Amino acid sequence: MVDLEKLKNVAKETVSREDVKYLVGWRQGTYGFRVSPHFMTKPEDADKLIFSPLCVNNLATYLTLAEKLPVPRGEEPDTRKVALMVKGCDSRAVVQQLIEKGIERDSVYVIGCPCQGVLDLEKVEEKFPGVQSPVDVQWGDDKFIINLPDGTQEVPREELLAQKCLNCRYPNPVISDVMLWEEVEAWGNGEYADVKELEAMDSQERWTFWQEKFASCIRCYACRNACPMCYCEDCVLDRLNPQWVFRSNNISENTVFHLARAFHLAGRCIECGECERVCPMGLPLMSLNRKLAKEVREKYAFEPGLDPESKPFQSSYRPDDQEDFIL
Amino acid sequence: MKDILNPYKPEIATVEDTWFETQGDRAIKTFKVVFDNEEKRESWEHRPGQCAMIGVLGVGESMISISSSPTEGKFLRFSVMRAGKVTQALHELEPGDKMTVRGPYGNSFPVDDWKGKKILTIGGGIGQAPLRPIVEYVKANRGDYEDLTTIYGSRTSGDLCFKSEFEAMRERGDVNVHLSIDIEEEGWPHYVGFVPSLLMEVNPSPENTIAVTCGPPVMINFVLQNLKKLNFADEQIYTTLENRMKCGFGKCGRCNVGNLYVCKDGPVFSYATLKEVPEAFA
Amino acid sequence: MDSKKLTKDKFGGFVELLSKQKLYVPQMVGETLRFAPVSSKDEVDLVFSNTVVPPKSVLFPQTETLYEYEAGGTELIMPEEPEEKVLLGVRPCDARALTIVDKLFSWDIDDPYYVNKRENTTIIGLACQEPGINCFCTSLGGGPASTEGIDLLLTDLGEGYLLQPLTEKGEKLCQDAGELLVEAAGEDRQAAESLHQEAAEKIVRKIEVDTIPQKLEELWESPLWKNISDACLGCGACTFLCPTCHCFDIQDEMEGFEGRRCRVWDSCMFEEYTLHTSGHNPRPTRRERTRNRVNHKYSYFVKNFGTIACVGCGRCIDNCPVNIDILDILSQVVKEAI
Repeated sequence: MVDLEKLKNVAKETVSREDVKYLVGWRQGTYGFRVSPHFMTKPEDADKLIFSPLCVNNLATYLTLAEKLPVPRGEEPDTRKVALMVKGCDSRAVVQQLIEKGIERDSVYVIGCPCQGVLDLEKVEEKFPGVQSPVDVQWGDDKFIINLPDGTQEVPREELLAQKCLNCRYPNPVISDVMLWEEVEAWGNGEYADVKELEAMDSQERWTFWQEKFASCIRCYACRNACPMCYCEDCVLDRLNPQWVFRSNNISENTVFHLARAFHLAGRCIECGECERVCPMGLPLMSLNRKLAKEVREKYAFEPGLDPESKPFQSSYRPDDQEDFIL
Repeated sequence: MKDILNPYKPEIATVEDTWFETQGDRAIKTFKVVFDNEEKRESWEHRPGQCAMIGVLGVGESMISISSSPTEGKFLRFSVMRAGKVTQALHELEPGDKMTVRGPYGNSFPVDDWKGKKILTIGGGIGQAPLRPIVEYVKANRGDYEDLTTIYGSRTSGDLCFKSEFEAMRERGDVNVHLSIDIEEEGWPHYVGFVPSLLMEVNPSPENTIAVTCGPPVMINFVLQNLKKLNFADEQIYTTLENRMKCGFGKCGRCNVGNLYVCKDGPVFSYATLKEVPEAFA
Repeated sequence: MDSKKLTKDKFGGFVELLSKQKLYVPQMVGETLRFAPVSSKDEVDLVFSNTVVPPKSVLFPQTETLYEYEAGGTELIMPEEPEEKVLLGVRPCDARALTIVDKLFSWDIDDPYYVNKRENTTIIGLACQEPGINCFCTSLGGGPASTEGIDLLLTDLGEGYLLQPLTEKGEKLCQDAGELLVEAAGEDRQAAESLHQEAAEKIVRKIEVDTIPQKLEELWESPLWKNISDACLGCGACTFLCPTCHCFDIQDEMEGFEGRRCRVWDSCMFEEYTLHTSGHNPRPTRRERTRNRVNHKYSYFVKNFGTIACVGCGRCIDNCPVNIDILDILSQVVKEAI
């Protein structure tokens, strides 16, 4: 069970370590059910730390997001670690970054937070609309305990669980330097019900479905920037010379943008759902990613972000890899 | 659409002549261009220091300073370093080819207010391009100004722009020309060292003098420091800023330094103004 | 002209009248509410919380062709004059935002693409009755029924709408509507007024903005900016969805033999926005970019145009994926000791 005291104590100790630059955890947001990533540089900052069903953000994205500025002459580069709080899904992003050598193992100190599943923000905001003051939410047995300003409400877990958690098989961090509390039992069976729905459409229907979605994309790049696996220093979608995608916002360019991203994530997406969560236009981006994850798992029995010693999907080959579907 | 008032609509201009100032990956090529529209050719006016948005249809536009002085004739000169997508396309242009030109944009050096003063330009590399119109303007109105001193340097002698023009100026006798290169070269008769050091060597008096500097940010920083050492007041020092630009007239937003837009409030700033502007030296 | 009343049974007729020009109303496009052209009067329904994408998208579209040309050619094909438009159901905050964007686009040189469309457009506002949890328009001189930028203001009275014509365009519309409308009674006006009052009272988030422009100048080097921007993902959700953000990029795009020079929304939160070709970036990190965004709205715009470039619509707060909250930033700015 979540032990906030322990979480804060470990955070204080960690951020006091000489080899740690800062720690990234979660804190209560400024309103309603929102949380914000919390950057700690000193022990006192631990007071604001939380871990609750609201902590949906995958903080692994911050490992690669921080700008690498040139080191001023005469100064040494700061090689201290970044300490990171991770849920099960988040930890797979850390592992996948390690597999791809996007980060070094000794550049990160992983604080594991076994997780019982987080809230779907959209569902909870719909159920309890107009809540302005910050709300505390806790896990109960098979329910969420929601402490609203006008009293506590208990809601069955399934009703408000985030889509990505409904079928979670990795609630426990798969990598950690310290684990904060006991592991929880996984509940998911790894089925792709949502993908099967899309697969059941004929190709014209599916095309229409996606065209309508992509038409409303505003290309704010929140999906790409939130994604812990989208960390190329020079994104192909930004490049002007040569230019692969026009800046114009239309179905054609938006489709190229989303499909390019989806394919770059094939065999790499760890299904944390951040792209879909952060999209202000509500695009069902995880359906694309999960379709590719399903293909990779079914065709190659491969799952990303589990073993730091493994090889990236695209650069591993087994003699028994299927190839009968390759034209 | 009422296109007469459309500031986004460029004029088509023809490249009349081109030549390379410098060679290499980041070569500098100069273009002499004239507007196709005769009326535009006649009505066009610009002042030293102003810029124009020049471009190639199908590729894009870049803000480039006009390196000719209006006193030189009914044409425009641009000296362009090959750096990005648009400048690469510009470098492909040969005499007879077309480019798009709109402008002129920005403020200018207050050359008419400087009449009766000594003019000192301090340039580095491609930074001589916006200074050249001052030099040409003063040369064309030589009697209106006191001493004209030009300090100019680059990394090697091969990186110096407008070389033959400096030689011609030296022969005129009424321009003090000081050239430098950073690294020793065989046969180089002039100064070896950085431009800010050459400035100290030349040791100009601040009295009744305007100093204008343009070049790489590091050079500008040291030149400014040295001008202060030479007792130049902030109001006597001018420089130009550059930032990424798209529209050229204060709409697209990206060239701001503080509340000022480099495209319309600049590119020319006195050091007195700039000192108060956040991000000016970022 | 006095206020009019439109009973709801005549609303269909009113919409039909508006449809003589190109009519835009809030509609679901994909998964989100935004202004889109109406194709039949049945689609029109003014029961909505504010649109996710502000109506600036109609007057300053995300992608707009400046002119077209053919490969190798030098003839520039200019777009046609914009058609007359009506925007129905614009929230007072968004209408106020247009008056702010107007200042920029008619500064020194008119921006013909924006200005022509703006002049050709009638804005029919809808007084806000259910402000969102992050609305703070009242702190910025606006309000749920503010009239700036609106030609005709509608207030939903339940059985009908009160129509307040505010400009010539608004009066003309009322004249054209003729028999669809009746003169509003004193009690209708009172009912509207108390609805406006009630709505204003529902706004809980507030900020005292008077000291902010000055404070921002003093806080230029404050650690605040790093603390605020640590969590920033560097996406453009806040700026693209802001009703006053107006920055754009200009790009040449060739498709086959046909080319266009077009402008597209751009965001100061993107790294590439200020990146020089040389590789130098005057705003190298999210710290400088966040500082610029807040300063642009609350300091630079004030210096240049005498008004804050924010209307308190709350969109940047609602849509930030990491809960970077402009009111939280501003209250820190106000509190920060210099």
